[in-house]
Formats: sequence, structure tokens, C-alpha cells
Amino acid sequence: MSHFLDRLQFFKKKQSEFSDGHGEVTNENRAWEDSYRSRWQYDKIVRSTHGVNCTGSCSWKIYVKNGLITWETQQTDYPRTRPDLPNHEPRGCPRGASYSWYTYSANRIKYPKIRKPLLKLWREARRTMEPVDAWGSIVEDQTKAVSYKSKRGMGGFIRSSWDEVNELIAAANVYTVKNYGPDRVIGFSPIPAMSMVSYAAGARYLSLIGGVCLSFYDWYCDLPPSSPMTWGEQTDVPESADWYNSNYIIAWGSNVPQTRTPDAHFFTEVRYKGTKTVSITPDYAEVSKLTDQWLNPKQGTDAALAMAFGHVILREFHLENPSEYFTDYARKYTDMPMLVMLEDYKDGAMKSTRFIRASDLDNNLGQDNNPDWKTVAIDETSGDIVAPNGTIGFRWGEDGQWNLKECEGGAGKETKLQLTFAKGDDTETADVGFPYFGGQEHEYFNNNDQDDVQVRRIPVRELTLADGSTVKVATVYDLMMGNYGLDRGLGGSNVASSFDDDVPYTPAWQERITGVSREKVIQVAREFADTAHKTNGRSMIIVGAGMNHWYHMDMNYRGLMNMLIMCGCVGQSGGGWAHYVGQEKLRPQTGWQPLAFGLDWSKPPRHMNGTSFFYNHSSQWRHEKMDTKDVLSPLANKDDFPEHMIDWNVRAERMGWLPSAPQLNSNPLEVVKAAEAAGKDPKDYLVEQLKSGEIKFACEEPDNSDNFPRNMFIWRSNLLGSSGKGHEYFLKYLLGTKNGVMNEDIGTTGGTLPNEVEWVKDAPTGKVDLVTTLDFRMSSTCMYSDIVLPTATWYEKNDLNTSDMHPFIHPLTAAVDPAWEARSDWEIYKGIAKEFSKVAEGVLGVEKDIVTIPLLHDTAGELGQAFDVKDWKKGECELIPGKTAPNMVVVERDYPNTYKKFTSIGPLLAEAGNGGKGIAWDTKDEIALLSELNHTVLDEGISEGQPVLESAIDAAEMILTLAPETNGSVAVKAWDALSKFTGIDHTHLAKQKQEEKIRFRDVVSQPRKIISSPTWSGLEDEHVSYNACYTNVHELIPWRTLTGRQQYYQDHPWMQAFGEQFVSYRPPIDTKTIKPIMNQKSNGNKEIALNWITPHQKWGIHSTYTDNLIMQTLSRGGPIIWMSEVDAKKVDLEDNDWVEVFNINGAITCRVVVSQRVNEGMTMMYHAQERILNIPGSETTGTRGGHHNSVTRVVLKPTHMIGGYAQQSYGFNYYGTVGCNRDEFVVVRKMNKVDWLDGPTGDDVPQPLPTEV
Amino acid sequence: MNILKVISALMNYPSQELQQNADALVAEIKQAKEIPPESRENLIALVDSTCRRDIMDVQEEYGQLFDKGSSLSLLLFEHVHGDSRERGQAMVDLMALYEANGFDIAVRELPDFIPLYLEYLAQRPDIEAREGLADVGHIFGVLAARLQERKYPHFALFEALLIISGVEINAEELKEAAATETRDDSMEAMDKIWEEEQVTFMANQQSGGDGSSSGCSVPSQNPTKAREEPAVPLHWVSNDQAIDATQKK
Repeated sequence: MSHFLDRLQFFKKKQSEFSDGHGEVTNENRAWEDSYRSRWQYDKIVRSTHGVNCTGSCSWKIYVKNGLITWETQQTDYPRTRPDLPNHEPRGCPRGASYSWYTYSANRIKYPKIRKPLLKLWREARRTMEPVDAWGSIVEDQTKAVSYKSKRGMGGFIRSSWDEVNELIAAANVYTVKNYGPDRVIGFSPIPAMSMVSYAAGARYLSLIGGVCLSFYDWYCDLPPSSPMTWGEQTDVPESADWYNSNYIIAWGSNVPQTRTPDAHFFTEVRYKGTKTVSITPDYAEVSKLTDQWLNPKQGTDAALAMAFGHVILREFHLENPSEYFTDYARKYTDMPMLVMLEDYKDGAMKSTRFIRASDLDNNLGQDNNPDWKTVAIDETSGDIVAPNGTIGFRWGEDGQWNLKECEGGAGKETKLQLTFAKGDDTETADVGFPYFGGQEHEYFNNNDQDDVQVRRIPVRELTLADGSTVKVATVYDLMMGNYGLDRGLGGSNVASSFDDDVPYTPAWQERITGVSREKVIQVAREFADTAHKTNGRSMIIVGAGMNHWYHMDMNYRGLMNMLIMCGCVGQSGGGWAHYVGQEKLRPQTGWQPLAFGLDWSKPPRHMNGTSFFYNHSSQWRHEKMDTKDVLSPLANKDDFPEHMIDWNVRAERMGWLPSAPQLNSNPLEVVKAAEAAGKDPKDYLVEQLKSGEIKFACEEPDNSDNFPRNMFIWRSNLLGSSGKGHEYFLKYLLGTKNGVMNEDIGTTGGTLPNEVEWVKDAPTGKVDLVTTLDFRMSSTCMYSDIVLPTATWYEKNDLNTSDMHPFIHPLTAAVDPAWEARSDWEIYKGIAKEFSKVAEGVLGVEKDIVTIPLLHDTAGELGQAFDVKDWKKGECELIPGKTAPNMVVVERDYPNTYKKFTSIGPLLAEAGNGGKGIAWDTKDEIALLSELNHTVLDEGISEGQPVLESAIDAAEMILTLAPETNGSVAVKAWDALSKFTGIDHTHLAKQKQEEKIRFRDVVSQPRKIISSPTWSGLEDEHVSYNACYTNVHELIPWRTLTGRQQYYQDHPWMQAFGEQFVSYRPPIDTKTIKPIMNQKSNGNKEIALNWITPHQKWGIHSTYTDNLIMQTLSRGGPIIWMSEVDAKKVDLEDNDWVEVFNINGAITCRVVVSQRVNEGMTMMYHAQERILNIPGSETTGTRGGHHNSVTRVVLKPTHMIGGYAQQSYGFNYYGTVGCNRDEFVVVRKMNKVDWLDGPTGDDVPQPLPTEV
Repeated sequence: MNILKVISALMNYPSQELQQNADALVAEIKQAKEIPPESRENLIALVDSTCRRDIMDVQEEYGQLFDKGSSLSLLLFEHVHGDSRERGQAMVDLMALYEANGFDIAVRELPDFIPLYLEYLAQRPDIEAREGLADVGHIFGVLAARLQERKYPHFALFEALLIISGVEINAEELKEAAATETRDDSMEAMDKIWEEEQVTFMANQQSGGDGSSSGCSVPSQNPTKAREEPAVPLHWVSNDQAIDATQKK
């Protein structure tokens, strides 16, 4: 036999001796062990959890035998809660219980793979060229580039080796950095809270080379912009255990038992205490069965219901029988006493505009520091106008008065702020117009026709300004009563004295819109408020993100937030706003940030808001159907504003409101070189070039090939499967492959062309040169990638998880080594960094990179333009970086040392300290500790003497040591830093835990409760469950808003333009995607238009687990939609029929579940089902059917682009445009022919094993 | 048994090295007395197809066939235990068998990877090797039938293994089954699979076996249908049709 055949390929002979003969392998009979182990045998149990986007972070035992995972069960060793509070365990759900399936599943990715056409080109080019040149020769040759890009999504993967893929990726990155700029290397990964080290691995690599991390929370549309608007807080929520402290819970659009399975027990248990639970869902969801009462408003009309609830609460608990608790709360913790300026509108009516500021008044009201940013109120006792403590102007530039003590900010005199100017018959009033949208017509939603400007009589008072002029002003309290349409006996129209009046926003008024009877509305509102009144705020609303996915999401959310604030529930145990979606609370955030964004070596990192990025670069804007004018306020002058949404976004980027990436229309490395050649400071040079128009923002020319996002990394994500809104546009424009887009762009259809963006007639396709995806399973995203890298599963790596649902920090632990060729994300990016450093040698050296940074929230930059919106490009103001335009910072990149930087903790932390959310502290002690824990680098070079960062555990220790939540002494420092701002000593909140340090091995032995920190607004202690805004109320720390208080009123000029100073009801928008196609491509079957709803599901967490055969068995196998019996009947559909679901964006093929659960007029497709299973061809597109995002396209809302304005300032995943999709409609019809599009037999699927052999 | 080693090599992911050793493989096949001339020819045809074409095309084809989905999985227990819990334990048992006979797995593969299992059997006495093959003969039968139905030369590998094992199977019936298999897999059939008894690979080591618990068994009854409506088949989408079409002559 030849040597090849002779040699063992798979085995090695067992050695009989080892350790030079000191040990010996014996083969004695160990059969006696079998009785112990033969059935349920294992060698060890390892604690791990699931790094999936589900907020669970549940503790699991993973059983391992001989290096193989055998099964998993729930852990039951959580630390106990206090007496009278149920314990957390066992946590888990059927999805998590099936996870070990993936480890050895047929769908597991086992080897690094590259699609064949690209690999062929690469190997061919590499034969004669160096890596970087080889890559250039492929992507710059149009024919070659198209030849592999057009094959994306069509299989043909070949196994490669780690060496080969790393070299290819490194070459592509180096080439792109060199020729186009580091900001053309983009990465997308979501939810760092779930496996934060894995997230950090990719983000660290990208940040060190100057690449871009895209935000996800806003892109997923799980970010409620209403939360930053109202609280200046991204999302902070009570832990699930706090449900047990509540006395009245409304589950509004949140399907608790289905989507919060491990926490649902608290919801059930609290009912035994007598707590009433109410569900508000359009369909008969699982939660509806669990609650005492079910309200079912038509989908998308929740804001109308919320307005009516608010109307009842204000009438009965603020006006008629004022609750002392509510009134006191309103005065201290809300913007209700603040003064708002009124301006003439027309026909004698006025409109409410902005908050009065100290700078409007004589001598700045004694405020020399930031008088533009201090709002004012009247002190009831003295009658004086005062600038109360705690507004944003006090936060920056001075110490000690940024707090919520009832004092004014000058001499510190005690105050009692006045809520209303109403004083019976003597009340001075003005007629003020409020925008009304509920009368707008929509083919599929009922309206309630009323005047589109509702003029109402409001108590006012006159004020003399610094320039001697007089203005009328009103308090937010009085305007708010007007906004809710409450008759206060002041006369005038459009107000209601009875709940039965059909006036906005009474219980009677909402009936026509929501379909909910007025009696139910009155009952629930009364009970909710009465409970809060009697218990000091123990009423709670658990809200589901579906409500946030409508175009006018802020109305839904602000509607219910207002209810909570009116009733003093926010910041109280058992009360408040419980929104458990998406972000999942990365508790040790400030420890993690330096690791993830390489802040130990350089700052700032490059961030980009995902929604604007994808809207722009996947060319979805080229298909925009909506005109801004359709959604502006009836009180706004429509000629003042652009029409195309992208124009707003470009302006926001230019003014430094939103980030930009790709950043400019030239390579930032070249910009600095050119500046230096011209002998100028790079920042001055860039300002000059921007003003002259020599350099533009990349977003102004997205179709210029210099500005393409050339390289993309996707990890821990199914971007093209679950979350690619406008999926078919992604395929067409970003990837350049086969797609199902069924409409022409606005150039062809004659739509509104943008003014700020260069229009190119023939849109480029295939903008991305290289898509690299890391995953453990062959997801839809992997199918469309050029390179697929096999990652470790959640039982094969070391990492950390935290969640907003419980206060524990939890490990993922490597129960076994990664199977096959898989590696952990940390090891993969480390490998890429190593190869990058090698390949960069000789091509890139130490380079200077100019980074543009938007005006960031929680920095002094959030004090941007206080009054008007001025655009430097239009000559309306000077270009001042950091004020009227993005800041510009030069960052040094030492490219050949990227690997050394990646694997050590850099010196910048010890030099510059660490911090977050506007406070900073020294961190030398922690770096010294890390040097001892992780040891220091001994190799020569830039990392010599720095703490080692080789393994994922080293990285975990870095997070845990630096974060106040896991290191008590840091917590004390952080509270101390905050105390300087507030002038109140907060350190007592952490002092008792000062010596506590949680380390990786600690959480491996048992999940640990985190330590209270100022990064979060709640407390973790022995006496209260975590509840958001608790420290605002109980420690008098201001909310991080303009007024420092919870804001009902939003006064930014763009908020005014859209008529959203206050909440109201705004009906869904018309996305215009049905008419052009319905009944146009008939297959003979009847067609019906239905609202497209994509809620979270039971048989998967997003797309994870949906390809798991166990979950497929529990579900129906393959993708399904749900529809009502009534609708099904209209188009002759029966349960389990094959249907096609389509609109001009694309098409889906699936089966239909006909169910009484669903209400008429809508269809649901659970988010998210994969493209890889049971998807036949579409009859309309001619290609394979897509998934739930194939029929969507993103539509932006300019109010989310506001920046440099206190709480409305950009922060990564904090504020920005969001990818809404619930207003979409689809056509559903029965399919004639189910064509699997795969070969002559029509079916080469895995078949069942014949049962007899 | 050297032929097992040859089959193992041909069943593994094709490499340059394999291609360079085509002649050695052919020589070894020609000498194999365990299989009839017809089988030898089929195997040689496979050697030609695997070793005398562009390596990337061969690798791509291999990936399409064996790297994705479960119908042609080369992991034995995928076919036996599917996604049930017993799978982990079964692998543990199999690994113990290797160890008991002096072998440690040296690569990052699972113990039930067929080429690896074959290499193990190739090192064992002939009679034991045949028994080892016979234990899983029915899986080879199914794989052979599926590959034949899809007209890939790889069917020769499993056909040869069946012959060596001496397991009698009704090839025609299997082929027919593969061609017309009721697409009823996941739902009811999987429920059935979940009920089945633990399968061990140590049948020949167990003492006092009464036959009922020996070897690999699968349910002897067709899964009963719960409902009259057509069950939903599991259909792993293949986007390889462009390539498939050229392969399927």
C-alpha cells in the first residue's frame, strides 16, 4: 500500500507510556463504572448560557463526556432574593434547551469557506502577486469583480484554511484602507450584552485600524427614540423581579409568556398578591389569555388609546380630585412648571414654540454659564422667575447645582415651582393651535375627522424679555391640559367636559379609531391611576417593541410614558416603564468600552448609525415613495423644509448631528497628508476644504465608487436574514446579486429627487467588495457572504452576558473545545489582526487618520445650537467643528503594530482615565491590578510592559476590573465623580461594596449580582429591586434632558416642524407599495391587501433556533404567516395553503396558518424565519421567495436626526434614525404552483430514513 | 482491510494529496478481492471523477453533497439519532470503543464520521470490520440509494461497503424509496425517532445479548400519520442549481 494509504489520517495510536515513562496507560477493566454512567454519563458539568438576542441570559448546565457535549439542563443555583420575593430560577425555555443540537448539527459551519469564483480568482492572482496587489487586481477589474459578486447567495462554497482566509481578509482590508480609507471597512454586530467579549473582538480590531462599527439598536427599531426624548436615557427598565412589587400591570403589546419566558413567572406570581393585570394586544396573543382583562385596539392605533387613558387620568386625578402625590411629583420631577414661549400663528391663534431660557431674560437671570441652556419657571411662593437647578446648562461648565433639589440656581433659594397660571375667573388666556392628525385618511385605517389645527384656550402670562419686548408664555402643565383636550372652564372650542364628547382625545373619540369601547378605557385608566395614587406609583406598563416599529412610534410610546409620569410611577419600585427589547443592558459598559473600541490605545473610535447607513448605501433612498410634506405639522411652513428624507439626513450629518461613515469623499489618511503637505493643521485644512466644497461628505455622493463601503464584517448577527430591512435592496445594490425588487427608482418613476445628494442615473450595484461572516450555523447571511468563518458555539467559548431582566452577570464557558475548525470570535479576530499586521508591512506604516465625530450626548458637545437650525453649507453660520459641524480629531494608526495593540491593554487608560455617561475617573489602580492579574507583555515593542490581552478570559478580566458594576472601588470613584456634578454625596450607594471585586472565575462558579453604579439610573441592593430612574427620584440626580426633568414637551425646531412637541395620535403612513402591483401580475387567484406585522415568535429567538429541527417540529416546518378566518375566506384560502406574500419591494413564499387568534386586516409573519428552509420560487419575481424583510423598505423620520441638543444628541445606539416597518402592507394570494427551483425531480431535500431496511 | 482505507480516503474531503495519489488508489482497488469487478469499476470511475478534475470543482461538489443538510450526512448518528439526546451518548460510546482498541482521534472530527470509522475498521481484523460495517449497513444502503438517485458516482463507496459487510438489502426497494420517499420527515417521523431506544455500537461486545438489543435498529413500522392533511416536508434550500444542472447528466 502506498504511504498515503498506509498512514493513519484520522487516528493516532494510543501511547502506552507518557511523561518519559513516568506515566503509563493501562487498559484495565473499568466496566464497574458503567452502572454509574452508562445511561446519564458525563465527566463534567459546565455553566454556560446562550449569546442570543433574547434578554434571557439563563444559567444552564452543560454535560460533557470525553470532550463531547451530551445535553443541557437548567441551573438552579442563583443567589437567593430577599424574603417575600420569589427566586429567579429556574430560568430557561424550550429554545435554549435545544441549543446543543447546533453543536453537531448538519447545519453547523465546520470549516472556513470561500465561494469558488472568488477563491479561484484569488489563488490565480496570488500565484504571481503579493496579497495586497492580488486583491487590487481582482476588485479593480470590473469583469472579475462582477463574476464573483453576482454569484453571492448561490452556494458554491469551498473549504479553505485559516491561513488562506486570514491572508485574503487582511489583504482586502489593507488594500481598502490604503486606497479608499479605513472608514470604508465596516462591521456589524449587535447586542454586546450577550457575549460581550465576542462583540469586543471584532469591534477592537476595527477600531484599531480605523474601521467603523455600525449601531444596531436603532436599526432593529428596538430603540425607542421617545426614551431619549423624555428621559435622556437610551432605555432603562426595571428587572423582571420588580414586576412582583407592582400592584397594577398593563402588558401593552408585550407577549410576556412567549417572548420573556424565563421571567413570566413573576408576572404570574404577582397575581396571587391581588395585582390586576391587563393586556393590550390587537390579536388574541398568549399574554391575553394570562391577564384579567384584554383590550384589543386595531393594530397601529395604540396612541389613540393612550391619549384617551391620559385624558381620563388628567381629568380625574390632576384637575378634579388632584392627587397630592401626583401634583408633587409633577412639580419636582417633570417639565410641567417650565415656561414655553407662544408665537402668533394665524387668525388670532398662537402656537407653542420653545422653552424660555435664562438668556431670554434680563441679565441672563443671573446665569452667566450656559444661559441659553437653562429653562425657567415661576416660583409660586415669591412669584419670581427662576432658573431652577438641574437643567442641562448646570451640567456643563459648573459644579454642584446639577441636581433636583427644589432650589433656584442663583443664590440657591428654596423654590416651589408654579404649575399653572389658571386662577379661576381672573385667568388670562390665549387661543393656542395644536396639530391634529387623527383626521387623516388612510385606506385601511379609520379616522376621526376634526379640524387639523385644534385651537384651544390656554392660561398664559406675559413676560418681558431682555430686549424689552414682551411675549406670552404658558407652563407645560397648562399646555398639556390643552393638548389632551380637557375643558377647564375657560371657554373656547375643541375641549371636552365629558368623556362622551367626540372631541380629541376623549374615550368616546378613540372608539372609531381603535374599536375599543369607552367604558373599558375609562375603567382601566381609573384603576391604573387610582392604584398609583394609593401606592405612590406602583403601576407598571410592560411594553413590547412592536409598538415601536410603527413610523410614528414615538406617539405610541410617549402616550404610555406620559400615563406613567402623570401617575408618578417612574422611578418607584413596582412602577414605571418596562421595555425589554434589543439593547439588553450591557451592565459593565464602561469597563467594556475600552476593550471593544480600543480606547486603551486611541480615541475616538468610528461609529455610524446603522439605519442611515443602510438607507443610504443600500440605495433604499433611490426608491423613496414618501414626501416629507405628507408628515409635517399642519402648523409648519412646508416650504421651509426639504422633501426627500435623505436631504434631511445629509443636513444632519453635515451639522454634526449624526455620524458619517464612510465619512468624506476622500480617504481620511490622504486628507491629513495633504494638510501636512500644505503646511496646515489638518483640522483647519479640512474646515477650509469643506467650506470651499473641495471635500464633501461621502453621504452627498453615495453612488461615487470612492465612497462605497468596501469591506464588511458581520458577526453574531444574521444581518441579511433577520434584520436587513429592505432585504431585496441589499441584494441588489450592496451585494450586486439576484434579487426580487419589483419597482424602478425615482429617476424612472418621476419621484422627488433629492437636492443634497448627487443623482446618478444608473445606480451602481455590488458596492461591497468583501463580505465576511462569522457564524456557527449556515444562516441566510452566510449564504450571501464571500467568506464564512466557523465560530465557536456558546458552549465552546469563554465570555460574559448581562441582561436587563435580572441583575446577574453570567459567563459563557468553554465546556469543550470548538468542534472541527471552529474558533471563538476572539481568536478569529486575533488571527485576522495578526495577519493584517504582517500584510500591512511595507504598504501601510504609521498613518494619521482624521476622524469626524458628531456632537455627542453626555458631553459638553450636546450644547450645540440652542435655538435655530443653521447649516454652514448654506452660509447660515460659520463652520465651527464641535458646534455647527462634526468635531475633527487626528488619530494615529500604527498599522504594522495592530496585532500587538490588539493583544495588550494600551497605556492610554492609565494616562487619561476611564468613564462614561459624562463622568470620568482615574483608573491607574485598576491597570496596575490588571498588570498583576493578566501579567505584562515581555516581548519587545510597543506593548512591552502593558497588561496581556491574549485570551478571552484576559479580556473578560479587563471588563470586570474596569467597570464600576463589577469592581466596588471603581463604583465608589464613579459615584464620587458624579457627586461633583450634583453637589450631593452619592458614594453611600457603593461604599459597602467597595472591596468587592467580581472576577471571571467567580461568575463561573455562580452568577453574581452587580454593584450599583451611576452608569444606570437604578439601584442594585438588598432593599429594592432594580428599577429605572430610581436614583433620579430618590437621589435627586437630574434626568439628562434639557430641563433636567422628565419631558412631556419637546421644543426643538424640527420637533415643532413635525408637530410633535406633545404626544398625539398619528395614523400609520401610506408606504405606497401595494397599488402598483395588486392585481397586476395575476395568477388567477384572488388577492387581498393586509397590514404586515412581524412579532417575536415562540419557536425561535429571531432566526436562531428556527432552523433547528426540534423547533421546526414544534412549529409547522418552514416559514408561515398567520391570518384571520375572515380574510382567508375572502380569498379562498385554507389552513396550510401555500401563499405568496408580495408588494413592490419583493416577495415571500410560505404557508398560511388560518386562525381565530388574528384580527381582520392584518397578517403576521414571525420574525425571523430563515431563507434556507422550505422556500419555493415566487410566481411574481421569478426567483426564490424571500423572508419577512423582502417586502420592507426603510423610511426615515427627521425628528430622529436631531443632534447637538441636550437629550436629542447622538450617542451610539442611543439616538438616531430607526428602521421602522409596521406601516407596510402586502398582497396575499394563493400560489398555483410550488416550484422548488432545484433540479429535475423538483425535490432533492433531505428525506426521512426509510423505516425498513 | 486495505479497501476500507481506500474508501475512507475517497469519502473524505478531496485534497490535492488525494489527487496526486490517484494511481495508488486505482492499484489498491484493482487488488481488492472483497468486492466484485463491477464494484471495482465503479470505484475507479469515482477515482477518475475525483482525482482527474479541477480540485476546486471537486471540492465544491463535495461540499454541496456532504457539507450541508442531513440527508447525505457522513455522520452516522445523524441518521440514527437525528437530533435526539442519545446522540451525544452514542458518540461517547463509540469513542470508548476506539480507545479500548488503542486509538485516539487525532483530528478535529466527531467519532461517527464515516471515513474515520472506516479507518478504524481497516485496522481491525477482517471479521470484526465486517461486523462493524454490518452494524450500520442500512445507513450505507440509504446513502447509496440517494446518491444513485441523484446520479453521483459516490454511490460506489457505499455500494462497496454494503457488499463487504455482507448485509442483504433489497436495493431495488431502497432505490424506489429514495425516488419516491414521502416527504413526511420532520413531523410525525421525528416524533417517532424520539421514542426509539438507545442504539449502541457495542453489540458485539455485549455479553448475554438476546438479539433484541443488538446493533443498530430503527423502528420497524412506518410512522403513523396523525392527521390526514399533507405534512410539511423539510426542504433545505439549495441554491446550487446552476452547478447541479451541469453535474446531473
